[in-house]
Amino acid sequence: MKHLRRRGTRTVLAVIGVAAVLATSACSINTAKSGASSADGSMLIAADNGSPTFERNFNPFSTSKRVTATYMYEPLQVINTLDGKATPFLATGYTQPDAKTIIYTIRTGVTWSDGVEFTPADVAFTFDLIKKTPALDNKGMWQHIESLEVDGDTVVFHLSSEDVPAASIIDQQLIVPEHIWKDVADPLTFTNEDPVATGPYVLDEFTPNQYTLKKNETYWQADKVAVEKLVLPAANSQLDVVNNGYDWAYAFITDVEGTWVKADEQHNKYWFPPGGTIALVPNLTKAPYNDVNFRQGLSLALDRAKIATDAEQGYVDAAGQSGLLLPNQEAWLSADLPDGGQVAQDSGAALAAFEKAGYTMNGDKLVDADGAQVSINIMTANGYTDWLQGLQTVQSQLGAMGIDVKLSQPQPAAYYESLGNGDFDMAMTGFGGSGSVFQDMNLLLNSEFATPVGTTTTGNFGRFSNADTDALLARFKASTDEAEQKNIAGQLEQTVYDQLPVISMFYGGLWGLYSDANYTGWPSADDPYAPPNTYNSTPLLILTHLEKAK
Amino acid sequence: MRFLLTKVGLLVLTLWAAITLNFLLPRLMPGSPADAAIAKLAQNGPVSSATRASIEAQLGVPTGSMVDQYLQYLNNVAHFDFGVSYTFFPQSVAGLVGAALPWTLVLVGLVTVIAFIAGTLLGVLAAWKRGTWLDTLPTVGGTFASAFPYFWTALLLLFFLGYVAGWFPTSGAYRSGGTVDFTGEFLLDALYHSILPATTILITSLGGWILGMRSTMINTLGDDYVTFAEANGLKPGTVAIRYAARNAILPNLTSFGLALGGVVGGSLLVERVFNYPGVGYLLYTAVVNQDFPLMQGLFLIITISVLMANFIVDILYGILDPRTRR
Repeated sequence: MKHLRRRGTRTVLAVIGVAAVLATSACSINTAKSGASSADGSMLIAADNGSPTFERNFNPFSTSKRVTATYMYEPLQVINTLDGKATPFLATGYTQPDAKTIIYTIRTGVTWSDGVEFTPADVAFTFDLIKKTPALDNKGMWQHIESLEVDGDTVVFHLSSEDVPAASIIDQQLIVPEHIWKDVADPLTFTNEDPVATGPYVLDEFTPNQYTLKKNETYWQADKVAVEKLVLPAANSQLDVVNNGYDWAYAFITDVEGTWVKADEQHNKYWFPPGGTIALVPNLTKAPYNDVNFRQGLSLALDRAKIATDAEQGYVDAAGQSGLLLPNQEAWLSADLPDGGQVAQDSGAALAAFEKAGYTMNGDKLVDADGAQVSINIMTANGYTDWLQGLQTVQSQLGAMGIDVKLSQPQPAAYYESLGNGDFDMAMTGFGGSGSVFQDMNLLLNSEFATPVGTTTTGNFGRFSNADTDALLARFKASTDEAEQKNIAGQLEQTVYDQLPVISMFYGGLWGLYSDANYTGWPSADDPYAPPNTYNSTPLLILTHLEKAK
Repeated sequence: MRFLLTKVGLLVLTLWAAITLNFLLPRLMPGSPADAAIAKLAQNGPVSSATRASIEAQLGVPTGSMVDQYLQYLNNVAHFDFGVSYTFFPQSVAGLVGAALPWTLVLVGLVTVIAFIAGTLLGVLAAWKRGTWLDTLPTVGGTFASAFPYFWTALLLLFFLGYVAGWFPTSGAYRSGGTVDFTGEFLLDALYHSILPATTILITSLGGWILGMRSTMINTLGDDYVTFAEANGLKPGTVAIRYAARNAILPNLTSFGLALGGVVGGSLLVERVFNYPGVGYLLYTAVVNQDFPLMQGLFLIITISVLMANFIVDILYGILDPRTRR
C-alpha cells in the first residue's frame, strides 16, 4: 500500500514537471525580425502559395498557373474591379460604332521580353488560339465574339449579338506572343517555363521554395515601375506574414490591429474594400421561399450590421438590398431606393410580412396554417469560418422571430455542387465584384442561368425568373448610352430591393495588407485606383503606380 | 510451400480488393473536381459559366460509364500509369509521387526506426527498474506526450522554437531559393529543416513503443526462466536483455513491421503544419481538390506498402514461430 502511494505522488510530480516546462516556455513573440526586402529595390510579396512547393507553370491559360503569370502577360485593358474603370494596357482604347462592333486600337512601340516587336497580329493570334482550343477560353470570349480582323493598328471585333458590355470581357484577355505560341504543340499542357511576355516583370530565378521576378527593362512604361525585384516565397503562413517583414500580402488575418499593424506600427497598413456581396440565396423553386412576403419577412428580421461585425470582426460594412457594391459603385445607385437600399431590422414589419405569407406567431414560435413551426435549412461551405459565424448570428436573429434555423456545412466541392444544382433551401454565397454592373446583375438575375433544379448553373443560384427583368437586361446589354444604362440599372436595383432574389447581408472584403516602409502609393480608401488583391490582372495597376519611399 | 502459396493467394485477393476500393472511394465523395476548382476560384471573384466549361475541358473530367472507367483504370494500373493530376495539371501523378516519396521515406522512415529503437530500450529499462524514476519518467512522459494530438505538438514546437526563439526554420524541407542536389551543404540544410517535424513525430510516437515494451517485458520478467537465470547469478544486464527483452520484443516487432508499411503514407498533419513536401501533404492537397487521379495513385501506393509489410511480417512469423504455419 505504501509503495502504491509513493508511485502516485511521483506520477503527479512528473505530470506537474512536464506541464511546468510547457508553461514556462510561453513568452511573447519577437516581432522585430527584419524583412528580406530592403533598400535594394526588392519587394517581398505573399501572393503565391506553393502546395507546399512551386511547380514551374507560367501558362497564362492554365488553371494551375503561377499567380504571377498575370504580372507578366498583359491584357488589352485592366479593369479596376472596384468601380469598373478600365486602364489601357496593350490597347490604347476602343470605340463602339454600334452595339455589335468593338474596335480596339492596339498600342505601338511595345516589345516582347525577348526583343520581338508586339503587333496587332499577336492579339488576333491569341483570340484565334482560344477559339481553336476552347479549354483555354477561361473567360468565355467566344460566347460574345462572332469574328475579328486586324485593320492597321486596330483589331475589329464583330460580336454575335448586340452586346455592349462585351468590351469589359474582351478587355481582360491576356495576350501571348504569336512567334512562340504558334509552335506550341499542345497549349493546354504547355507549362511555359520561360515566359516571354510584354508586362513589367520577367522571370528571374525559379526554385521550388521561392522564385523572383525582375523588372523588364524594355517595358513600354518602364519609367512607372519602381520595384526592381519581386520575391515570392512558397510558404506564407499568417505567422510569416506578421513576422517576416512583407511589403504586400493578401490575407484575412485575425485582429489585424494587434498582429499586422502592431508588428510595425509606423508602416504597416491595411485596406479591406468590399470585393463582393455575401448573401443568403433562397431557393425560389421551393415553398415557402418562393413567396416574396416570406423573403421580405426574413430580410426585415435581420440586423445586418451585427451579422457583419460577428462574421468579419468589424472589417466590413453591412450590405444594403440594392445589389450593388457600395461605395465602389455609388455612381450607379438609384436615387429612388429608400435609404440607399439599406434595410433596417424591424421585427414588427417582419411579422406583418410573415403574416401576409400565411405565418403567424404562436407563443414564441412562427407557425404555418397547420400550426407547425417554420423551419429553414441554410447551407454554407465547411471551413469558411467567417461565414459560419455570420450564420450563427442569423440563426439567433431568426430564432428570435420564432423560426427554427438549421445549418448544413458540406465540404466546399460538395457545397458548390449543391449550389449549382439548386439542391438547397437557402444557401450562403457571394455575388458581384466583377467591376461591371451589367455582368453582376446579369449573373444575379438573368433567367438564362435559372436552369432546372438538378442541372448545373454558375449564377442566379436561386433560379429567379422574370420576363420583365430579362427584357431590362437585354436592353442594358444593347445600350451604348450611359444615362440609359444607369436608368436600367436603377430599375434592376429596384427589382433586387422588392423581389429579394437574394438577401444581402454584408460585403466580402479584399484583405490587402501593405507596408509603406519601402514603397508608397498603395491603393486606399482615399485613392481606390485598384483593389488590393495580389491575383488576376489588377496588380499591374499597383506595380505601375508604386514609388520608392523617400 | 503450401503455406507460402496460401499467403500469396491471399495477398493477390486483398490487392484486388484494395485496388477496386481505391477506384470507388474517391467517386463516392460529393462534388466533382470541377466543383473543387471552382470553390477555389470563387474566393477570388465570381465564376462565369465559361470558366466552368473551360475547367472541365482542361481537366478532362471522366465522362464514360463507371464500368468503362473501371476497366480503363485497371488497364492503367497494370501499366503503372496513374494519369495526370488535376490540381497540378499537367504534371503526371507518378512524377508528383516520385518527388514527394523520398522526403517522407527519409523523414518518417528514419524517425520511425529511431522511435522504435529508443522506445523499446526505454521500455526495457522502465520494466527492469520498475517503481524508480527511470520507470515513472518515461512512462508518464510518454503517455503524456503521445496523448497530445500530432498537430498540436507540431504547432507548439513551431511557435516556440521556430518563431519565438527563432532557432529552427518554420517551413519547408530546405531553404528558400535552394534547389535539390546532393552537396554536403544541401544535406545539412535539409537535416536542419527536418529537426522540428522529426521531433514532433518522435515525441508523439515514442510513448507507444515504451508502454508496449514495458508491459510485455513485465510479463516476461515474471516467467520462471527469468527467475531461474537470476538465481543462477547471471549479470542483471544479461538477464534483462538476453533473456527477458528478447522474448518480450515479438509483439513490438510486429507493430514495427506495420508501422514501416505505414511510413509511405507520410504524416499528413505534421507535413501540413511544417509545409513539408512529402506524401502526406500531397495527399492532403489531393483530397481538398478532389484530385481523383492523384488520390488513386497515392492510396494505391500506401495500401500496397501496408499489404507488403503485412505479408513480410506474416512470412517472418511463419519462420520465427512454427505454430502459426497451420
